[in-house]
Amino acid sequence: MSTLIVIDQPPYGSWEGREALDMAFSLAAFDQPVSLLFCGAGVNWLRQGQDAARVQQKSVERNLAAAPIFGVEALLADGQACLRYGLAATDLIEQASITDFGPELTGRFDHVAFAG
Amino acid sequence: MTDRSREPTKTPAPAGVFTLVITGAPYSSQAPQTALHFAKAVLAANHQIDRVFLYGDGVHLASNLTAPPSDELNLSDTWARFLSDQDIPGVACIASALRRGLVNEAEMKRYDLPAANLREPFEIAGLGEWVSSTASESRVVYFHKGN
Repeated sequence: MSTLIVIDQPPYGSWEGREALDMAFSLAAFDQPVSLLFCGAGVNWLRQGQDAARVQQKSVERNLAAAPIFGVEALLADGQACLRYGLAATDLIEQASITDFGPELTGRFDHVAFAG
Repeated sequence: MTDRSREPTKTPAPAGVFTLVITGAPYSSQAPQTALHFAKAVLAANHQIDRVFLYGDGVHLASNLTAPPSDELNLSDTWARFLSDQDIPGVACIASALRRGLVNEAEMKRYDLPAANLREPFEIAGLGEWVSSTASESRVVYFHKGN
């Protein structure tokens, strides 16, 4: 059973995205195929050079960079959302790849789950 | 005409067994009440529910300290009675629960906290419970807070 976890919330404003990331890591820990898709304001999770110290939070950049090591198969960014937020491929962490978010993508997974 | 040729022609799992995941909190979202209506409809149609998993803000549903006015629905109590009557496991994610101050006796002792507030029959467990449902034939249905 392959799962796509979709994060459409920006980082730091709520815990929904972090808890969605925990879901992805849990699936990977149990050897279940899982990928993450960031869309809408969620693409900002993948921005390079984040500094969350001034809001007393840990940068999510480091968590995401570790995702492939923990077995998350792909970190996908919705191309339309990247355009909207002025993010080129070179602005994203190196583990991310830009894709089209549509039925062709979601159809490749048995489960698609949204964060919050 | 809409091209539906790319849409899957079958559901990913048979419709007989459901897992409900509630991520919206009671009283600040409609998620727990909608999930309860859905759960009753599932059983009325002779399908099964293998577990109800509370995640994120949804863990507040498992608190035994909720005391709404007597002429309002007590969602925690109503859900707890439904789970007990139907013998359906109710599980609150441990990481979500500890962050939000929802603990059982064991976690109260582990973290040296002054009280425990988990309502029976809810249990506290890890995300492995959710993974188990996701990896099974169950259909996993999510109840979020919405926008």
